[in-house]
Amino acid sequence: MIHQMRQSTLQTLGLGSVLEIFQHGRLPVSADELVDRVFGKAGERGALVISGANGIVGAGKAMQLGSRLEPFGVPVIALDFPGVPDGMAKQYPGLVAAFGRGNANKIMGNIIRYSYDGKDLPEALSAHNPRFLLEAIPEILEVKKEHYKLFRSKFPDIDIWSVTSGFPSSALGVGIAHPAFPHEINKIWEIVEPVPSASSQLLWALGLIPMPVGDNWSFVLDVLFCGLTNAGTRFSEATNMPFWKADKYIRKYMGPNPFRAHDAIGAAGANFLSWSCLHHLSQHYGELFTPSSTFDEKKESGSNWYPPDHFRPVVDWSMNSEEYAEFNTWILGALFQMTSLMVHENRSHLAQMNLIGELCAQFSRGILAVIRSYGAEDARKLVEDYHKLDPAAAKKAWYPEVFDRIDTPEWQQLYVNVEHDGKVGVISINRESYNGDVNDELNRAIDWLKAAGIDHVIVSGDFHLSTQMTGADTTDFFPAVEDVQKGIDLSYSWSTTARRLNNEFKTSVGIINGKRCLGGYLELMMHCHYLVADENASLGMPEVTLPVIPGMEGCHWPFRKASPDQYPKLLRLLLTGKSMKAKDSVGWLTDFAGPLEATIQTAWKLASGGDHGLKRREVVQGNLPNVTKEIPKLEDTDDPSLQEARKAIIDCIESSCNAPLPEAISIQATLSGNFMTTSLFKKGVIGSAYMKTWKV
Amino acid sequence: MKAVESMFPKARIPYGTWGSSYFPAWQTSALSEVNIGQFAGEAMASILGKRKVPSRQLEYLIIGSTIPYHWKFWNAPMIASCLGHRIPGYHMEQACATGLSSVVIAGSEVNAGSYDTVGVLTFDRTSDSPVGVFPERRSYRRTEALVDVWDNFGFDPSTGGGMIATAGIAARKYKIDRAEVDELTYLRYKQYFEAKHSGFLNRVLLPFEILNVQGRLSGKIDDDFGVRQITLQALKDMRELDTCVTAGGQTHAADGMATILVSSPEKAKELSPRPEIDIQFIGKVDIRTLPGLMPEAPGIAVKKLLDRTGLTMDDMAVVKNHNPFAVNDAIFAKTMNYDWRKMNKTGCSLVWGHPQAPTLTRTLIESLEEAVDLGGGYVLIFGCAAGDVGTAGIFKVS
Repeated sequence: MIHQMRQSTLQTLGLGSVLEIFQHGRLPVSADELVDRVFGKAGERGALVISGANGIVGAGKAMQLGSRLEPFGVPVIALDFPGVPDGMAKQYPGLVAAFGRGNANKIMGNIIRYSYDGKDLPEALSAHNPRFLLEAIPEILEVKKEHYKLFRSKFPDIDIWSVTSGFPSSALGVGIAHPAFPHEINKIWEIVEPVPSASSQLLWALGLIPMPVGDNWSFVLDVLFCGLTNAGTRFSEATNMPFWKADKYIRKYMGPNPFRAHDAIGAAGANFLSWSCLHHLSQHYGELFTPSSTFDEKKESGSNWYPPDHFRPVVDWSMNSEEYAEFNTWILGALFQMTSLMVHENRSHLAQMNLIGELCAQFSRGILAVIRSYGAEDARKLVEDYHKLDPAAAKKAWYPEVFDRIDTPEWQQLYVNVEHDGKVGVISINRESYNGDVNDELNRAIDWLKAAGIDHVIVSGDFHLSTQMTGADTTDFFPAVEDVQKGIDLSYSWSTTARRLNNEFKTSVGIINGKRCLGGYLELMMHCHYLVADENASLGMPEVTLPVIPGMEGCHWPFRKASPDQYPKLLRLLLTGKSMKAKDSVGWLTDFAGPLEATIQTAWKLASGGDHGLKRREVVQGNLPNVTKEIPKLEDTDDPSLQEARKAIIDCIESSCNAPLPEAISIQATLSGNFMTTSLFKKGVIGSAYMKTWKV
Repeated sequence: MKAVESMFPKARIPYGTWGSSYFPAWQTSALSEVNIGQFAGEAMASILGKRKVPSRQLEYLIIGSTIPYHWKFWNAPMIASCLGHRIPGYHMEQACATGLSSVVIAGSEVNAGSYDTVGVLTFDRTSDSPVGVFPERRSYRRTEALVDVWDNFGFDPSTGGGMIATAGIAARKYKIDRAEVDELTYLRYKQYFEAKHSGFLNRVLLPFEILNVQGRLSGKIDDDFGVRQITLQALKDMRELDTCVTAGGQTHAADGMATILVSSPEKAKELSPRPEIDIQFIGKVDIRTLPGLMPEAPGIAVKKLLDRTGLTMDDMAVVKNHNPFAVNDAIFAKTMNYDWRKMNKTGCSLVWGHPQAPTLTRTLIESLEEAVDLGGGYVLIFGCAAGDVGTAGIFKVS
């Protein structure tokens, strides 16, 4: 029997839980079997048809799916009107950059283009045995329905998804897969279908991120992004703050810059699409979504939100605490209310709803995580304050009672889930960068396992929403730039969490199942008694290039587990910032690297007491002098900033290694925190981002 | 308060919706490097934001400026775009009478029922003023170049004289005593600094941070830069440039903007943070005096206005003027038999400078605030303007 702190998001796709992956020693389904089910077996394999293939969505998805289906021999039929601008050719340079010219040519060679007049399908289409249609034609309900009719009349068994619709599936009569921008590379798809289909599972098996959502007007991403933009316009209308400045504050405090995004995408089209989304939402949910008068004007004029270059702003704007509170009320109040609606409608697993904002709309923290940090009472009060500013919004689509459940694991474990079978626990993390929220949730997950008496744990990615572990979320460092204690506290707190994996379990196993594991996440994982990895995963400590001093004990912990002859490898890892393949790290950083299934099986054996044949590398408790005695020859040493950063990291390595383990945590935290106030840090990548996004 | 008829019974100035930038002396601040029209539009948006007035409340914009700025052709509509609200508008210009005239035109538009809410935005940048090149066939040079600020200050084409000369001529005509002018000037500085230190100016003047083209801070406009405390002895020691005119006894060129709203009575209650305060237009006149006697013109305008309204100087709760020369006040006091010590209690343009169009707007704003502090009453503002013009207006605060 499996006990879960909350449901795994994988289960929403019908793919079981993360714990089951380890129990079974393999992934729940393979791309081969799903391609067979969706497109037919080899020899009788059918085609994927994309109609409207020259549009932004159609062309983007032709590339994304074409590159993944080409190895399986599934042809992609690109269908569009004759004479429309060629959207496919524009994609070629991106393909070459991502896959190399040879592979790009193969992918393009697997795309067959047909023109049609909108009334009759090309005769030759039948020869390709179309099995699946991705419809990416304009957002006109009747036109779409006619299009489906046309296909079904000729190919009765064809499966159809609309990828450009804000209409509900019930209105269209087909499934919906709503992709996120930019369509070539964004892996997120919001899927509307009654039960998880083989097609959705195939997306997952191809490395994409399908997320089942409810059949409601518009999508989670659109509600959040268009809703945020509209809230921004209302704030600007109320306070006169120009859009460019409101945009900078929204970016600082929430993450997205909605007005810049509209301009970057192309204001004429983007303004219309956002307006249209809001207009339809307002028809169903009332004034909360009614496009502001600014939006009406922008829709009509198609004009940019930022001023033209010759009118670069002259007067700066700032906010005092009262004005900041008003800003927060306008923006977050509206977003909280929109979220209450989506939670009320049960649009999606909350972890997915939360992450859609982060992965598709650049929210620095998911909106549910933000609501959670307010607490139910304060969140409701903020919305009520918002209604004082915008009374019409209160009339509809406000469900304050949904916040009653903020204390449940569904709300509390948005990024970290945990399961156990009575003996082994599996902690799965779905956020690609480690931040304060993940840290808090990880602690709660550990507490939950400890309370259940579980002594063996696997720490893993979630096999769904997170495809890699990129390291610390450096926006969490920004407060430390001006307050050294905040940096020290952050480093100490995160390190303390990491140590729990070493101190509080009889066996802890970190498994790197994604494409890469870098920086803070690698530091976290190395605290496990064992670290196993997919052999092709990239591992690295890029801190020196940013620069920042590793804050989760990366300067001493791995040395305490390695033999002295391996120190140069660790020093190279820390002082060059260059990544390596996991298969090259066995014995001094990882304990095992192999094909993914073998890695999964090894992790399970280690945690469940199976015969694994690996020896635990103990952590040296005492002082480690002379760790930096033999520094390997390093490249790029003519860069003075890099030299300085290396020196700071070497100092940290020496200080933290040459101390007993209990003291090393404070030494590293202090040096890491101190570094974030230096001019070297401020000139670097994180410091520059801080200056750009926080000093507004 | 004596009851008199309002010139615009259907127009009001909503209390507390106004504001002005500081007026830094020319070439002393980041304002000397900006398109002053753009600055004014953006600054007005900011001021209205601080006053809790969404700019979308405005239906029409009257701008006042006297010195050409980049893209001036596009006029009020362009400035409205910088304000963030695309509305039509109108440009008013009459040298230093611009501020008062702009407000009165706004009152007229509202009183006529054309609009409920009209914004008045006055601004000028004397720093680096543009140079006009004029084809002039009757000139021996065939083409004349004219530095808009300084060449105009120095030459009134109607009289052939300069501004400063009018002060000397008028001082001689009225036999003004240099010692009195120095004492008067000293008091004006004292009044300004007392108002500043009391916090009064913070209620009407707002600071601004100016951005360069990279979006970085170019400078802060948070003071009337160039104004410094001065002693009576220092004033006395100053060389006379003309009769009773010294460097201390005349104003200086400055840059800045000032804005005020005019609306219907109902809208004024809606827009004002203190709807119980009622500000009405009572009357306004302009006169033109004899050639070269500009400093006597304001007194003549005030006399005419009082005659028309039936009010007297004793009815005035606040008296404030645009006084580019200290001589102006001495002549006014002498001709109107009025104690100059009772005027300009919160400062005046003699001290804080002369950016032309916004000068009388700031004067009006300060006067109205002062009247509110006093519990209401009639407000008289007046001043001189290029061309030997005198302008005067009376407002009622209750």
